[in-house]
Amino acid sequence: MNLNLLSYLLFFPAMLAIAVYVAQVCHRHGRIWMLRIFHDDAAFVDAVNNILLVGCYVVNLGYIALCVAHWEPIAGVDEMIGALRTRIATILFTLAALHYQNIAVLLIWSRIVHRRTLNTQQP
Amino acid sequence: MTNKIILTYAVYLPVAFALTLYVARTLFRNGRVFMLDIFKGKTDIADATNTLFETGFYLLNIGFALRIMEVEGYWSENPFDTNQEVVETLASKLGGFAIYLGVMLFLNLFLFFRGRKKARAAQFGNTAVPLVTAPTH
Repeated sequence: MNLNLLSYLLFFPAMLAIAVYVAQVCHRHGRIWMLRIFHDDAAFVDAVNNILLVGCYVVNLGYIALCVAHWEPIAGVDEMIGALRTRIATILFTLAALHYQNIAVLLIWSRIVHRRTLNTQQP
Repeated sequence: MTNKIILTYAVYLPVAFALTLYVARTLFRNGRVFMLDIFKGKTDIADATNTLFETGFYLLNIGFALRIMEVEGYWSENPFDTNQEVVETLASKLGGFAIYLGVMLFLNLFLFFRGRKKARAAQFGNTAVPLVTAPTH
């Protein structure tokens, strides 16, 4: 078997699994923050959360698929490990960056809403 | 299958359609909440608008999927004839299409939020929308 093909077959499912796992963690634990932001409107929060989950899947999987193209010809197992290592690191860093950005948006937004609520409640 | 270009198309089309279907169905099943907010609980008009937008979403995205489908390699110097090329081409085409779908999804979500905000502003008057009712005492 062509080693390039083999590394695609290893790379794609592994990264797929990681991306799906991260998206589900965000979906599960982001809900409570969104409830805080949207004042416990559960139906609305679940709708937004589901749409965001699908968006997260689609964009991350698309990015991973875009990375499976034009790898240099791989001659041996050592080269394969090298090529995989670089790509996996890139994907993981990107996922981490998106994840922290996600946390930052939730934190900032909930802080803004909380402050507005306090202002409204003051006489 | 000997002809690799046809093999590529045979994988590309079902995957692209399935992806469009999945994204559109999730988006508009959950978009109903927004539509009900925008049309102030009128179920019939909310569902009608939702269905119209869903049809538009299908047309636009399947049209785009078909536009980017073509694989070049009939008359070029290096013919399109290995499995590796099939996988690479499929990955770049489907990956690009998936990111495009994601952008369309977030655009739609943005429009939903905008519509909801405008509807609420119209309902509560043009001043800042009160997110919580102020205590009366």
